[in-house]
Amino acid sequence: MSAFAFALRSLVRQPARALLGIAGVAAVGALLFDMLLLSNGLVISMERMLSTTGYDLRAAIGTAPPGRGPLIEHAGAIATRLRTLPEVARVTPLRLSDGLVVHTARPFAVRVMGAEPGSVGAWTVLEGRDVRASGEVLVNQHVLELLDARVGGPLELRTSAPGVRTVTPPFRVQIVGVADFPFESERGSTVGLSLEDVDRVSGGGGAQSADQLLIATAQGTTPAAAKAAVERAVPTLTAMTNAQVLVRLQEGGLSYFRQISFVLTTVTIGFAFLLVTVLLTVSVNQRTGEIAALRALGFSRRRAIADVFAEAVLIVGSGAVLALPVGLALSRLLDWILKGIPGIPASLHFFVFQPRALLIHGLLFAFTAVAAALYPMRLVATLPIAATLRREVVS
Amino acid sequence: MRRARLWVMASAVTLAVSGGGVDAAEPAPGVLISRQLAEAKALSPGSQIRLAPGGDGQSAQTFRVLGIYEPTPDPMEISESKFKVRLHLPDMARLVSGPADLMAAETVDQVNLVLRDPRQASTIATQLMTGTPGIVARQARAAVSGAGTFVVIERFHLAIAIVTIIASALFLLALSVMLVDERRDTVGVLRLIGLTTRRVLAQIFLESLVVAVGGAVFGIGLAAASQFAINRYFQWHYNTALVFVRVTPGVVAVCLAIAIPLGVVASAAASWSLLRKQLMTLARR
Repeated sequence: MSAFAFALRSLVRQPARALLGIAGVAAVGALLFDMLLLSNGLVISMERMLSTTGYDLRAAIGTAPPGRGPLIEHAGAIATRLRTLPEVARVTPLRLSDGLVVHTARPFAVRVMGAEPGSVGAWTVLEGRDVRASGEVLVNQHVLELLDARVGGPLELRTSAPGVRTVTPPFRVQIVGVADFPFESERGSTVGLSLEDVDRVSGGGGAQSADQLLIATAQGTTPAAAKAAVERAVPTLTAMTNAQVLVRLQEGGLSYFRQISFVLTTVTIGFAFLLVTVLLTVSVNQRTGEIAALRALGFSRRRAIADVFAEAVLIVGSGAVLALPVGLALSRLLDWILKGIPGIPASLHFFVFQPRALLIHGLLFAFTAVAAALYPMRLVATLPIAATLRREVVS
Repeated sequence: MRRARLWVMASAVTLAVSGGGVDAAEPAPGVLISRQLAEAKALSPGSQIRLAPGGDGQSAQTFRVLGIYEPTPDPMEISESKFKVRLHLPDMARLVSGPADLMAAETVDQVNLVLRDPRQASTIATQLMTGTPGIVARQARAAVSGAGTFVVIERFHLAIAIVTIIASALFLLALSVMLVDERRDTVGVLRLIGLTTRRVLAQIFLESLVVAVGGAVFGIGLAAASQFAINRYFQWHYNTALVFVRVTPGVVAVCLAIAIPLGVVASAAASWSLLRKQLMTLARR
């Protein structure tokens, strides 16, 4: 009989302790697996979100987050100029602002997004049509619900204008459609206007000013090459590739999740090690008479050690496998909890499955099985056969 | 004007340490600087600094460091720059707007109100927004969007704590089953010499209570000892005075309320299966 078959029978003989041990490892393993998904989940999710817009570069004046830095004046003309670069396939000027919908009984704040009519990736029209001219607006479903309005209805909007201390009059626009806006939170309120209208509603004269330019690189060109070309063509602009945006996010607020992931991974793996070591040690201590008898019957020392090791592998292995579905289910719950953070885009996920996480999970548990079995294996290896048997008989 | 708090604007200005003297007729206006800025740039009270409203260093003005302050720890600003300067409002208005801007002294980003009746906050916010065009009024509680973030983070930690407790309970139960099984002979002998099941169970209960209390106290002691190391590490990492881990009496109470009953119940549940067996079954080897 192989060591694994022997260990399996040993576990089956004491089902309560075996099942509890496996369940304990599974619970710890589920948490470990989730922490591995969390360690890179936000970055992967953000990477996917950035790539779904179809743009590889974001150019702005300075490196402030969108909406906080200075405006790019004459963004339309700059975009036209950048479109002539061989490294650039597409350019979309984008302007972000905070606004207030005012013609309701209780005014409510909205995020105002401005883009050139027909811009690819700025938003996705779900109902109605895209903005084609001045005086037209797209709203998201939440705004439509708050207004209790329909497509075709009016909307009065006011925004605060940078550098303008006088109050701008409300800007009356017509709702022409319902759109899905990128990076929108679950219950966020967003409206989309033409670039000129955002300037107009902000008290400007309808100039094409933008916060950033979304740039798609031409085929056969790397984002880095396009970045260099853009910065050469318009020296006042600072372009960031999606990878650079991600690095910045990792260094910023998202670092908390990486750290908590690291801390909890360490704690859970330590916990699993402790759990299995204690289970195996107590199990070996209870079976010293049995092990000594087997050794006396002819089982080699190596074989006795292999039995203990096989038992560790079975407990840890079963728990680790069981941890995967439990961990995935738990990650859905934890993701749902974390998505309650205000302003988190609806399509952003904190826990994202990645094969690398599965590999690390397996390696960590393999290491745990070996490490946890070391002490019990030593006990078996140094067990005095005659003395143990005598003690058993006397007791 | 784009919304920006004083420190954001101040931290965005260009900073240069000047060794020059101060014009005695018109001393440089005083500022406070953050501890982090003082340490990084080796500044001390009396140092002179030049602040400019833009990254190009144009229109810089000289200021005198009056003191160094520790920024109020704010979890929402944990990864942001800790280089902050506090100026008097007129000085800042002059710096960012220039002397030609007559409206500068009258312009602020926001005004904070303390209401006589805080319960009226929502109504007054609505009145302000509808009655004063261009004003966005929000309750302080709602304006601090970060509060919502930390409520969510707290829920996340709670969910993790629950999973950890489940894993610990399973661990404890497995261990209890094994330990009780190990004492099978002892329990058999105790029953043979006349101790009732209830008496043996009471003994096991008391033993597990002592072990659970000991374990819980040890765990709390470990947490209390490690909180210092954790706080020091993260305070160093983020260069902040923020407290990351704090073992409060409430936390201790919750830990004790969970750990002790859990330990006792696990032990009693594991023992019960043994005590239900026939006396001779227990005594037989």
